[in-house]
Amino acid sequence: MRPSRASQTLLFLALCAFTVVNLTPIIWAFLTSIKLPVDAFSVPPKLIFTPTFEFHYQVWVEKEFWRFLINSAVIAVSTVCISVPIGTMAAFALSRMRGSGSRGILFGLLAMRMFPHILLAIPFFVLAQGLSLIDTYPAMVLALVAINQPFTIWMMRSFFMDVPLELDEAARIDGCNLWQVFYQVALPVVRPGLWITCLFSLLLAYNEFLFALVLTGPSTKTLPVAIAEYGAEDLNYWSLSAAAAIGIMLPIVLFMMALQRHLVRGLAFGAVKG
Amino acid sequence: MQTQRGLWLFLVPSGLMIALVLLYPLGYAIYLSFFNYYLGGQEPSFIGLGNYTALLGDERFWSSIGKTVMIVAGAVSLEFVLGLAVAFGLYKLTFGVKPLNLLMFLPHIVTPVVAALFLRWIFTGRWGLLDAIIMSFNIFPPDWLGTPGWARFTVILADAWQFTPFMILVLYAGLNTVDSSQIESAQMDGAGNWTVLTKVMLPAIKPLILFVLAIRIMDAFRFFDQIYVLTAGGPGTATETLTMYTYALAFRLLEIGKASALGVLTLLLSALTIGLLIAVLYRRDKGAF
Repeated sequence: MRPSRASQTLLFLALCAFTVVNLTPIIWAFLTSIKLPVDAFSVPPKLIFTPTFEFHYQVWVEKEFWRFLINSAVIAVSTVCISVPIGTMAAFALSRMRGSGSRGILFGLLAMRMFPHILLAIPFFVLAQGLSLIDTYPAMVLALVAINQPFTIWMMRSFFMDVPLELDEAARIDGCNLWQVFYQVALPVVRPGLWITCLFSLLLAYNEFLFALVLTGPSTKTLPVAIAEYGAEDLNYWSLSAAAAIGIMLPIVLFMMALQRHLVRGLAFGAVKG
Repeated sequence: MQTQRGLWLFLVPSGLMIALVLLYPLGYAIYLSFFNYYLGGQEPSFIGLGNYTALLGDERFWSSIGKTVMIVAGAVSLEFVLGLAVAFGLYKLTFGVKPLNLLMFLPHIVTPVVAALFLRWIFTGRWGLLDAIIMSFNIFPPDWLGTPGWARFTVILADAWQFTPFMILVLYAGLNTVDSSQIESAQMDGAGNWTVLTKVMLPAIKPLILFVLAIRIMDAFRFFDQIYVLTAGGPGTATETLTMYTYALAFRLLEIGKASALGVLTLLLSALTIGLLIAVLYRRDKGAF
């Protein structure tokens, strides 16, 4: 059956309408961030105005949001540097093991991925306080590594599953030990997957709010905490906080656009396939 | 058959890390849940199941379960129905799918806190975009974030705004894996779109559906960022879910023991929900009726 042109056009328009409604909050925030307050609060909303990037400049330079950006970057990059290498090793083993033991581990990891984060935030807070680690990078990084591990292992495992066992066996016959098989044979094959896992872990860490709210302080505050605290109540700060919000969102959007092809796998952390 | 000895060594670093930063804190939380422990108060004292029995007699606990169930059920079913409709639309569409799919996906990748702010600027009373639009028609708008019913509605919309794109993405990918010869033979038999979707395509991707629903229910149970920014659990306690109540107990009232017990109960409850979901869908699968 060939679909008729009229019904196709109708369908296309309906989906466009859905997309426009869906994107309205983002577009509106962007417009607010480049409007003077006079224009931002007019009823009915103004669509024609003189744009200004003054607020973007103010928030990042004068209000020193770059400090929070540095905190976010340090924490996210450290998390990836710890979480991905050890997770990748575990994933390699789990992709090569058979039997109920490895199934049990995989299922356990999936269950850990589902923990209510608030349940972990409490002991992390108590322990970090006992060790005087509140408002330091290590507390936050360790918490993020904890919630990252199950994700990293599942995702890397799904990439290792695509590496044929014959490749391992051929390398063994050539005299490689297990470490060499992992490091010199399997790892180069999954390198694209490794980068994707790094980027998704980075994103997970960059977006994290609850742990950051509990574990960071004045000197380690990350972007999500800073923006949540910043002037959401006060109408005078609307344009400023809109500028900050747009700025926080921007790098991720660019990242994900570039990664579009891998989204399904990344978001379902390979479990659909596993 | 290659030798597998030594593979377990590869699990050691990650295993130690998980034990240190995940299992130990989790065990510690369960341990704390048996103590009467106020942060900054006197020494914690062991009270056995005291925190749990206190919670079971706590009206605020039961009401937070009710609100959680309402918000999880509302959000996940809205996401599923809307996501399926859009995914099927995309499946049927023969042009422009790629750019549409990409644009639709944007809300999902916005940092959750930032997403909540975006929505706040839409729903804020009087100054928000929605109110501005409604008022320009000379209609008096409801107070979206200030009245209990509307606040819950807005919170559900917030979850749906961020996670419907995820549903669309996964379901669209799933629909595309369905064997096209099956669909064609159903169409030959005169089946319309609706029949093809419900009788052929949905049964074919049942495991995937089960999987996304389970993931979304689990995540919705711990939904925090957006409620915190949009309503902070208010007005009153109208949007205070289990996670919000746990947060309030632990970090505002500093009742660490009771909060831990509540966290453990949340874990059990969400595990139970998923177990039930799987059991029900599986029984249908075996054709029990």
